[in-house]
Amino acid sequence: MIEIKNLHAEIEGNEILKGLDLSIGEGEVHAIMGPNGAGKSTLGYVLAGREGYEVTDGSVTMDGEDILEMETDERAAAGLFLAFQYPVEIPGVQMTTFLKTALNAIRKARGEEELDAIGLLKLMKDKCKQLGISDEMMKRAVNAGFSGGEKKRNEVLQMAMIEPKFAVLDETDSGLDIDALRIVADGVNALRAKNRSFLVITHYQRLLDYIKPDHVHVLADGKIAKSGGPELALELEEKGYAEFVTEEAA
Amino acid sequence: MSAVAKFHRRYRAETADLGLFDWDGFIADDAPDWAQALRKRGHENVIANGLPTPKLERFKYFNLPAWLKKNELSYKPADIAIDGNTDYVTQFGPRCSYIPDWTQEAAESAPIGEDKYGDMMLWRLSDAYFKDGIVVDVPANTKSDAPLNLTITGHDGAVTMPRLIIRVAKGSDFTLCEYHIGQGAAWNNAVTQVIIEEGARFRHYRMQENPHEAAYTQNTHVKVADGAQYEAFTLTNGAAQSRHQLHVELQGPEASCDLNGINILSGKQNADTTITVEHQAPQCRSNQNYRNVVTDQATGIFQGKVHVHQIAQQTDGYQLSNSLLLSPQAVMNTKPELEIYADDVKCSHGATSGRLDEKALFYLRSRGIPELQARALLIQAFVSEVMEDISFDPIKEQGEHIVQRWLDHATLSVHTDWVEE
Repeated sequence: MIEIKNLHAEIEGNEILKGLDLSIGEGEVHAIMGPNGAGKSTLGYVLAGREGYEVTDGSVTMDGEDILEMETDERAAAGLFLAFQYPVEIPGVQMTTFLKTALNAIRKARGEEELDAIGLLKLMKDKCKQLGISDEMMKRAVNAGFSGGEKKRNEVLQMAMIEPKFAVLDETDSGLDIDALRIVADGVNALRAKNRSFLVITHYQRLLDYIKPDHVHVLADGKIAKSGGPELALELEEKGYAEFVTEEAA
Repeated sequence: MSAVAKFHRRYRAETADLGLFDWDGFIADDAPDWAQALRKRGHENVIANGLPTPKLERFKYFNLPAWLKKNELSYKPADIAIDGNTDYVTQFGPRCSYIPDWTQEAAESAPIGEDKYGDMMLWRLSDAYFKDGIVVDVPANTKSDAPLNLTITGHDGAVTMPRLIIRVAKGSDFTLCEYHIGQGAAWNNAVTQVIIEEGARFRHYRMQENPHEAAYTQNTHVKVADGAQYEAFTLTNGAAQSRHQLHVELQGPEASCDLNGINILSGKQNADTTITVEHQAPQCRSNQNYRNVVTDQATGIFQGKVHVHQIAQQTDGYQLSNSLLLSPQAVMNTKPELEIYADDVKCSHGATSGRLDEKALFYLRSRGIPELQARALLIQAFVSEVMEDISFDPIKEQGEHIVQRWLDHATLSVHTDWVEE
């Protein structure tokens, strides 16, 4: 379903991704682990189409569609979702306005009927309840003054409302204590479905205790250096990334 | 001749020749003597000093003579429609005979120490044409939620000089909404004088939506007594050339003012907000909060000054002007000033200019919101901080509506020629 082939990308002339290949089947959960500076977050941003991340070679397709040709918002409408490592604070934009605008933009792009205020509120309440998010948080501006845990739960809430085909979770575990991690992981697990794929980017094995991957890959120096099953994550936890870090990069 | 007069005279020659709109022709009416004297003094002042040009420091970014050169004008009484809470209103002119006696003192008063900066030039021009306008006299302890609405309509080729004189007596609460609209190249050069007595509150809203060919200049002078409050909000969306000159004197202890505004500018608009707040008594509070959104080749100007007199201990003075520039040719000139002679004060000022936050834009777009919609959302968020402080809901709603309509038509797309410097 997701095919990444020979992906090369650079930022301001520095090549970060150097021929990355990855294939994620429908309903599968893949984890990408790797040392700092390997290009993990770059991969997330390249997939979402962030300005300044230039693809110089290779292709990315989702259900056969070339997503690199699409604008960021078109990718979202096509079913891609990026959960940010650092969700952006947007003072002045209320959570409910944001969710309504986002959801209806996507529904419109997909040719679905837009939700009215009541329909949206109901959906929001249901999802908030599942994720232990208070109504009070919905009255605030997007991520403004949210704690680290609240920001990550908010990412999962958006994912739950948008219901993407393919979700990329960029270091969703970073900055979370164990309780917050469990809530977030439960939220993700509840979204696992036959027609939904996940790419979980993480530095630590810890998250994978809660979100069990089907496949684990090691990203080092802009390429997949090793692939395996869940046991690979445990092996990395034990041995570290030393064998994947070149002297130059270290 | 004083050095100041010489200085003005030097620039007079470069000021557009106005012919003063047949001034001699209409002076002969039955206005009271003091009104006649006011006109005469105004006329003499304009003859001696001319009109402000960008060579004057306080008018550096505002080019009225250039606009005047392009437009042929003749003097007309202002077209002012009143509705809503009209109980305390007298509409005077064109023969000036109905103007109440108490207005003499108000009409003759002027901000202290302004003449030396050339700030009074447009006021004096308006004095020369002191002929029509509105007097509002709210008696003591009158509280009303119903606003007085004034719709001031400009007509192509007409220059108008209406005077608004407003007195809100002790313990009263009054709200005025001004709507400035019109067609074609009109110039409205208004003077507004406000007296707010002890413990009273006056809320003053202005929606300036003149056509993009028009000019609009406004001198507002407000005196705020002990414990009284002045709340002003101005939304500027209209006119080719506009200048709001606002001078507030906090004259009694615990007087306060909130001077807020939103400027949304496009095309080749030039909009100037020049504010002076005089803290003349202890324990007063002043707050200025402006948001400017500038696109295309438009220019915004914010000059805000807080002057704390020696007597004004325990002053709380705050000033903020934040600007969003949406195109490479958009310009915002910001000049905050603090002049403090008391030692026990809390004063601060801040100013920012910047583009839309690219991270926020990417975040919104990654959630499926198309680029233009995402930009509009961020611009609305940017102005909302000022909008939300408006205590009168109908104006808040109208303001949001005007911003929305502006966003629907303004150039919000990425300018490909934007070069990072």
